[in-house]
Amino acid sequence: MTEAPKPPKKPRGKAALLEDKCIACGARCQSVCPVDAIKMNDAGEPIIDASRCIGCVKCVKVCPVQALQMSFTPEELRILEELAATAAPEAPEEDPEEAALRKRLSVYSGVWVFVEQTEGEAAKVSWELLGKGKELARARKCGLFAVVMGENVEHLCSQAFGYGAETVYLMDAPVLRHYRTESYQKSLCALIEKYKPEVILMGATGLGRDLAGVVATVVGTGLTADCTGLSVDEKGNLMQTRPAFGGNIMATIVCDKFRPQMSTVRPHVMAMPEFDPQARGETVREPVPVTEDEIQVKVLEILMDGSGSKVDIAGAEFIVSGGRGMMGKENFAMLQELADVLGGVVGASRSAVDAGWMPQDRQVGQTGKTVRPKVYIACGISGAIQHLVGMQDSDVVIAINRDPEAPIFQVASYGLVGDLFRIIPALTGKLKALKAARQRA
Amino acid sequence: MMPHNAIFTALLSASLAFFCWSVYRRFSLVLHGQPEERLDHPARRLKEMLLYAFAQMRVLKKPFGLNHFVIFWSFMILAIANGEFLLNGVFPSVSLSLLPEGVHRFLLFAFDLVSLFTLVAIVLAFGRRLIVKPPYLDSLYVKGRSVEGFLILAFIALLMVAYFGLHGALIAQGRESVASAMPISSLVAGFLPAGSLGGVELVSWWLHAIVLLAFICFLPHSKHMHILTAIPNCYLGSLDWPATQPRETFEKGQLFGVGSVERFTWKDLFDSFSCTECGRCQAACPATCTGKPLNPRQIVHAIKTNLLENSQALREGRSGTLPLIGDEGEGTNTEDAIWSCTTCGACIEACPVLIEQMPKIIKMRRHLVETEARFPEELLNLFENMEQRSNPWGIAPGERAKWVSTMEVRPFVAGETEYLLYVGCAGSFDSRAKQVTVALATVLDAAGVSWGILGKDEKCCGDSLRRLGNEFLFDKMARENVELFRERKVTKVITLCPHCLTTLKNDYRQYGLELEVVHQSELVARLIAQGRIKLDGSDKSLGKISYHDPCYLGRHNGVFDAPRGAIEAATGSAPQELERHGRNSFCCGAGGGRMWMEEFIGERVNHARVDEALAGNPDTICVACPYCMTMMEDGLKDKGANNVRVKDVIEVVAEGLMRKELRKG
Repeated sequence: MTEAPKPPKKPRGKAALLEDKCIACGARCQSVCPVDAIKMNDAGEPIIDASRCIGCVKCVKVCPVQALQMSFTPEELRILEELAATAAPEAPEEDPEEAALRKRLSVYSGVWVFVEQTEGEAAKVSWELLGKGKELARARKCGLFAVVMGENVEHLCSQAFGYGAETVYLMDAPVLRHYRTESYQKSLCALIEKYKPEVILMGATGLGRDLAGVVATVVGTGLTADCTGLSVDEKGNLMQTRPAFGGNIMATIVCDKFRPQMSTVRPHVMAMPEFDPQARGETVREPVPVTEDEIQVKVLEILMDGSGSKVDIAGAEFIVSGGRGMMGKENFAMLQELADVLGGVVGASRSAVDAGWMPQDRQVGQTGKTVRPKVYIACGISGAIQHLVGMQDSDVVIAINRDPEAPIFQVASYGLVGDLFRIIPALTGKLKALKAARQRA
Repeated sequence: MMPHNAIFTALLSASLAFFCWSVYRRFSLVLHGQPEERLDHPARRLKEMLLYAFAQMRVLKKPFGLNHFVIFWSFMILAIANGEFLLNGVFPSVSLSLLPEGVHRFLLFAFDLVSLFTLVAIVLAFGRRLIVKPPYLDSLYVKGRSVEGFLILAFIALLMVAYFGLHGALIAQGRESVASAMPISSLVAGFLPAGSLGGVELVSWWLHAIVLLAFICFLPHSKHMHILTAIPNCYLGSLDWPATQPRETFEKGQLFGVGSVERFTWKDLFDSFSCTECGRCQAACPATCTGKPLNPRQIVHAIKTNLLENSQALREGRSGTLPLIGDEGEGTNTEDAIWSCTTCGACIEACPVLIEQMPKIIKMRRHLVETEARFPEELLNLFENMEQRSNPWGIAPGERAKWVSTMEVRPFVAGETEYLLYVGCAGSFDSRAKQVTVALATVLDAAGVSWGILGKDEKCCGDSLRRLGNEFLFDKMARENVELFRERKVTKVITLCPHCLTTLKNDYRQYGLELEVVHQSELVARLIAQGRIKLDGSDKSLGKISYHDPCYLGRHNGVFDAPRGAIEAATGSAPQELERHGRNSFCCGAGGGRMWMEEFIGERVNHARVDEALAGNPDTICVACPYCMTMMEDGLKDKGANNVRVKDVIEVVAEGLMRKELRKG
């Protein structure tokens, strides 16, 4: 035996369960084990078969509560110590899988915002998302891109620049005139395939929810709907926060293995960025990869919601609402005046709508519209639960009511107990005076 | 001289053949329905049949029902006479005179008497349709003054006239052996022209024969088919109060609800053949009474018409062309009608022959929700909130226990706590109903009842979902709740809301969960009776109290006396009754998920009910349900009756206790 003894191999150890730490998360360790060394007991805790364990550390890494660790025999510990003493500290070995993943993800770059438009008019939520997108792009040190699709929609590009986009991918063709899932999905997927963005944001509107879902499925990535918070971590993962379990907790969701990372956000959740009319950027015209013949669905006619008034209380920033306490239809003029001064609209409770004082499309509440304006002024509304659920997410609620016991005061940021027929004219007068003073200044 | 037996025998055979063929054609259609168990417990069913069909219990609930009672029993007795008549027509030797004389005399005496009664009853019925005609006799497609109605009455009247003519003539000719037992026929005999007695006899006999045969032929094709179906329908009636909808299974390839007539069960179809169009259900229905497009009688009529119209297709194994749900038309139910139902059960209560109207409406709702996804848009919000947050308003479940803020939170612990207080969504979130919850908790504490709550783990019972036909979601929530109750070892439950009561008690039983569930008013009445709550009946602060029966407490669960007793214990006097009360109470308008829908058509149900309550000039309207509370309070506000309060029974009790304490202190 002349061969020199080989330096001892670095022992890898065996996985072991720490007592009382396991939370029975649902067998994540079992599912990652490459050699089926883990079985679950009735309590949902792992039983590790040490004879099979190869020390790959996968289960330790996946455990959400660090209930698993590597254990070594005294002999192995001795070798480890020796190795530590003799060998130069070697560079931490990177998991080959992780390296491959990192490589795969690294080709994706840039934050995209899908600009939703109807008849050439952009949905405001798209601009709100450009504001958020700017933040994310800055954090990732990458570009902010807007995607504009439609027919004759070039004018939206300059608006997109004004709200912060640096580059706009424009697809302008008759086939994209009306939203159809198939045509939009194919177009957007072609763009993604070509440019490989790392983040795509869309409004959680009817259109956005539809498109985001189908695109995520086709490109094979994750989608988090209705996010209320977005940020990026140091690895470039988008931290997508949204309410979960019936709003009892906020869950932060990460899509760390796939790109692009897709999120939808409801209107009015993100702040509207300042519009800069001077801003310029690059418009990149992209060919549309679909033709009319390929699309099965045809838009024959568009029937607009028949309601006469064009007032959209769901999207208003200031709402002055009246209830039964308004006593009569004629008194709503007073609310309209206040709303005009504020640049808002007039809403109503169900009883006011029932009484015929206001049209149905102004109704706020369970069976009407859900609103979340910056300021909601409730005048003569007692605040039955059916009404409260339609407006309690407003940023500021000001309640004016004669009855100090009215439930509306429980959700009000400011409550005024008194005669609204005196309070409202006084408020309107004061606001007018303030406005006039500001204009003079 | 005996009439031509040969001709009669031929006519009778033809009529019977036609009758049998018609009955077979109609009844075989019923077999196109889905299976349903309605033949179990024969003893109990026999009892129901005796009570409702033979004793006519429901029929007699309205004064004019007496008229029907007379006709019904006359028919039963005259069946013997008519049987003899037919047999005698074929075999002249067969006659009642073969019986012992005493029996023969008695029978003919009875026939004479009831024939007169029938004649009088028919004249009254004619008069009622012709002169007074209550509005509920008319529906869209069947009128009170219809040719058919009058024809049937005329048939019966003619039979009686012919009977007296025939027997009068026989007596006058001295050919009736027991003439002395027939006072009316004898009287008629005196008026007959002596010269043409043979002619009168012949004409009367043939008139009687032809009308009887025509009646037999016409019967299966008219609404008077109920003569054949009503008695079996009472036998086949639901043994439990039928307001609890059956479960559905959710598997691949399954159809949901009823979108075409053959999807109904055979009993549903049989119901439609049993309807006499008496209109009692429509007179009781809150939707019909307030001008909604729903009329429970028309729902049943539409099923019958649709079944007959589509019969050819069904026989050939195809689906019919006349839609069951669609635009207004005979044989089709409109969606507006289907969504107008408050599931109050007044129709079921009113029907003399135990037809179950409301469950049919829910079956069609299931089709609309589960198969078509078509429902009033307001419900989208409700369904989402229920699915995501297990309450109708979409409020965070963490806020469920907030009502308790003024007291100590008591979680339910099996073995330590006796009762689970199932607060329900309204009692947890609605600010007005929260006051009721606090009142309940106070009263329970005063009586030393051991109770606890599930807090944020409590979920909605799912009542509205089930009544709205969203059985899929209801099923999911019911399973979760049943699982939760089992896990927490809940056995006794107090509910604040009658809708939770009915769901936990009746609906969850289908999931194998047997709980002892009491509504707060029942428990409180029991505690008063046991002397655990001591009230001195001297609280007059609420003035004159009227009590409104919530449908799901009263009609659906049979609790009528407990809330009244509790009010009496607290105030010293029984509450004043509304015109429609007890089993005949009128809905507030919020049941069946109507709470979550707009009411665009007709008068508001709650306005109608508030008007009825205000007629008694009450100071307080007392309710025992959070839905009724909302509807009554809203109605009073709309009517400008600001001086009338609405209180829950438990609040009356709590205030009685409080005032007693105050006086002591």
